[in-house]
Formats: sequence, C-alpha cells, structure tokens
Amino acid sequence: MTIERPTFLNFARLRFPVGSVASIGHRISGVLLFLTLPFAVWALERSLRSERPLDLNGGPLARLAFFVLAWAAAHHLFAGIRHLLSDANIGSSLQASRASAWAALIGAVAVASAVLVLP
Amino acid sequence: MMVFSGQRAFLLQRLSALVLLAYVVAAALRLAFGAPAGLAEWRAWAAQPLAAAILLLLAGAVLLHAWVGVRDVVLDYVQPLPLRAAVLLLVASVLVMLGAWTALILVSHAL
Repeated sequence: MTIERPTFLNFARLRFPVGSVASIGHRISGVLLFLTLPFAVWALERSLRSERPLDLNGGPLARLAFFVLAWAAAHHLFAGIRHLLSDANIGSSLQASRASAWAALIGAVAVASAVLVLP
Repeated sequence: MMVFSGQRAFLLQRLSALVLLAYVVAAALRLAFGAPAGLAEWRAWAAQPLAAAILLLLAGAVLLHAWVGVRDVVLDYVQPLPLRAAVLLLVASVLVMLGAWTALILVSHAL
C-alpha cells in the first residue's frame, strides 16, 4: 500500500496566500472548539445547577482563554460561511475569494477583541 | 459507521453547519433584543420543555458537526491504521458521552 511519491515540503518555499491562511485557521479553530466542548457542557451544568455559576470576568489568564475561544468561534463561523458560499460557487473569483478571506480573518479578530473589551 | 462517512459526511457537515448558523443568528438576535436579565431568568427559560428540546437539538448539531470535522482532521494527519482507529474511537466515545451528559443536564433541569 506504500507508494513512493515525490514530496515537496520545504516550508520556507511553501506559499501561504491569504485564502490558505483563512482555511487552515478554520481547521485550527475547529479543533480548538472541539477541545472546548467538555468545558462548554461543564459550564452549562454550572449555569443550570450550581449555587455558584462561573464568573466570566476572571483573571487575566481566563480573559486570554476567553479571547482565544471567541476568536476560534468567530473565525470558524466566518470562514465556514465563506466555505458554504464557495460550495454554492459564490465568490469563487480570485479577487472575491481573497477579499472574503481577509474579511474572515479581520472580522474574527475584531469580534474577539470586542468580546475582550466588553464587560 | 458508513452513515457518517463519504458523501453523507459531506452533506451532514453542511446541513449541521446551516443549523448551527441559524442558532448563531437566533442567539445574536435574542442577545441584542431581550437578553435574559440574569441567571434566574435563564434557568426558568431552560426549564421549559420546548427550550430543552431546542438546546438538545443544538447539542446534537454541534456533536455531529464536530464528528465530521475532527474525523477529517484525523484522516489527514493520523496515517497508521491501528492508531487512526483508536483515535477515532476515542473521539466518538467522547462525543457520545458529552451528548449523554448534555441530555442528562437538560432533561433533569426541565423535569
């Protein structure tokens, strides 16, 4: 089953255009969100059952985790919408797909920053 | 489980994505216009059977979407078959347990 194939994995020479950055970001954020699921269910239980629910305005470390999570959720959402649209062949031109990739990347950071700033 | 692979997985991923998108829009609208004022109001809302059903459907969509996505990632990066099977089994078990835990929380709260 092993086939000898030529491989080209010189990372210094691999090119990462903005579309591929948005795409790998979608994958990384998806894995992050998956890893967060147990904490999400735990937070749900605390919010419904516990006498003392989670304090979302915790220390700096909690806020950093919150920022990363908000980024992951927002990026996965925006890049996911971009992928759904491209399924429907909307925005497939090079110019449009680059623009939407930038929009997803910047929009996700903007949403995460807003979540960090809001009380 | 052939149900969750191949073209069905592709479709399941897209359909669950659309369901989740609808939930995001609904949640954003609810937060913008009439967010629950506090913990008590949130708990009272979640205790209604219809609300519990809505949250259960959300959990189901999340778990199915997570399964297809994580499965794709594992198939891409974990090449040795025994290891791949073990990782996929672990992922599936975690997702099933999370689903059962969520159902338990929501149903016991609504009862």
